[in-house]
Amino acid sequence: MSPETSPAPAPASGAQLPPPPSLADRIKTVAANPLCGVVVALVVIFVLSCLLSAHFLTAFNMKIIARSLAFVGLVTIGQAILMILGELDLSVGAIGGLSGVAGGLFMVQFGLDPWLSLVLCLALGTACGLLNGVLITQLRLHSLVLTIGMAGVYGGANLVLTKGVAITGIPGAISFLGRGMMFGLPVPFVILLVCLAIVSFVMLRTPLGRYVYAIGSNKAAARMLGIRVDAIRICAFASAGFLSALAGIVMVARLGTAQPSIGDTWVLAPIAAAVIGGVATTGGLGSPFGAVLGAVIIGIIENVIVLFGISPYWQSIVSGGIVVAAISFDSVARRYFNREA
Amino acid sequence: MKKALLAAATLLCAPLSAQAATDTGPMRFVMIPKAVHPWFDKANNGAQAAAALLSKATGRQITVEYRAPQTADVSTQNDIIERAIATHPDGLILDLLDEKGNRATMQEAVEEKIPMTVFDSLPPEGMNITAVGADFCEQGTLAAERLAKLIGNKGEVAIMMGVPTAPNHALRARCELKVFSKYPDIKVVATGIDNDSIETAQKQASAIMQAHPDLAGWVACDAAGPVGIGQAIRESGKVGKVKEVGLDNLNDMLQLIRDGVVDSSASSRPEMQGYWAVIAAWQKALGQQTPKNIDTGIDIITKKTLSK
Repeated sequence: MSPETSPAPAPASGAQLPPPPSLADRIKTVAANPLCGVVVALVVIFVLSCLLSAHFLTAFNMKIIARSLAFVGLVTIGQAILMILGELDLSVGAIGGLSGVAGGLFMVQFGLDPWLSLVLCLALGTACGLLNGVLITQLRLHSLVLTIGMAGVYGGANLVLTKGVAITGIPGAISFLGRGMMFGLPVPFVILLVCLAIVSFVMLRTPLGRYVYAIGSNKAAARMLGIRVDAIRICAFASAGFLSALAGIVMVARLGTAQPSIGDTWVLAPIAAAVIGGVATTGGLGSPFGAVLGAVIIGIIENVIVLFGISPYWQSIVSGGIVVAAISFDSVARRYFNREA
Repeated sequence: MKKALLAAATLLCAPLSAQAATDTGPMRFVMIPKAVHPWFDKANNGAQAAAALLSKATGRQITVEYRAPQTADVSTQNDIIERAIATHPDGLILDLLDEKGNRATMQEAVEEKIPMTVFDSLPPEGMNITAVGADFCEQGTLAAERLAKLIGNKGEVAIMMGVPTAPNHALRARCELKVFSKYPDIKVVATGIDNDSIETAQKQASAIMQAHPDLAGWVACDAAGPVGIGQAIRESGKVGKVKEVGLDNLNDMLQLIRDGVVDSSASSRPEMQGYWAVIAAWQKALGQQTPKNIDTGIDIITKKTLSK
């Protein structure tokens, strides 16, 4: 799904056609695809889960995996765009939480129309992301450091607005977004699929997407080529803010209350998912689709940990171990391919 | 107390003996607390004791699986509840983080015909669920009243608020404030937030005691907070000068009371809550009527009661 997998140019007219690739060549081509590893891992984990737990492959369990994936998945898409760009945003969870409670306030305390509140909430999340981008690009700050600080600002604003107390009385009009079903799938999951399709199209089929990969590969070179590096970076942060806000408001619709704790767990998991899904921490490589596959792997592991009744004290070790393994694999694989090249 | 509980459980078993004799298959309950925390480990100990006792009394294998969320977050807890529902247990024993935020997920359990019992929290309105626990407001009120008495109904006091988003912590804080407002000579000069972390509570308490050198006493709203406060009192050399009435019965808390750093603790009974939650869940699974509330009460733990 990344640009390096785009089809080869057609041979010039009159040139001799190369012999058709052998089966071994085809396997090598498939194995070289950055998504191959994550797909294989996903299939192995899925099959093992089916074999080891009778409760895993049931319609109810698939529904809950899909729905819980949607929230982390939306944030993961935004984080993946930033990571491909060579950036990182540690405030995405706080933006999701702030946008969610702001949406709740608009609906309950200000009595605004739920759908207008949803739009305002998305605008707020986009504005928060935009602010991150502007500060990073204009003050030449490192995104990691700036967004640690901004996570405190957004998280603090969340507490100021709510005084730490959940906002209840969310109108039922938007509950469909969090609890409903569409085409036999949970609505949050459908929202994730739509967002993933749009972002994948932009990243792989438009100049803007190619610029993102170019900036992630070499920012200085991209600037020399005339790419508006800072504008695209700001755009990417705003997109991540929008997607976090969308996850936040869909979570509000799911819970039926605007909890100040929304987003608290959306910081580490999306980064881990992106890395597992083949997005390089140094930028320029990977795809949002791969990152979401990484989120699926994490989601299935979290699901089976509970299905198997693993002690809660071991759960952190398992999930943390997966992150370390994924990052190590990413590093080793890139060193191997660099040597091959 | 164990003997009394054994006798009570045996009595409860008696009317069900006919049903128990016909159905001897294993029964499995899933217990989901608010988060990983020593207080819930104590509740789990009580739950396991109840399961062992019921297994012995009925001859059926009765197990309680303990599945704690890593963080006290409603959506994380909902995910774990849903995954537990997927395993179709005989009953769910839940400590709800927010009955409104948990409601949609609990409705799924109702649709899957899985009976539920809650402990240490209140069930959503309109749901026929037994609640096992103590009165949080009463717990905060008892602690605040005791502190007021200790400081002679006058002086500066501070409250450690716990996790601001936890409804039970917020309720205790409100009730403590209400008590202090009754005494015109008691002034609440500071409030800290410890997020249920001993380390954070210690830092906050140290800073507050620096800022208010005339502080006369402390109360808290969670289990970790009073331990951190006690450590800060000891470190700052104010043992005896600054009084503290804590909450709950974590081992560190009990040691601080034994050492004379903390006067006492208004403690809920986590083991008993876990125990009776399993008893209620088991009865529900057998189709028996269960009470709406089981009040497990509050202990006032002092150096004297600990020495008994």
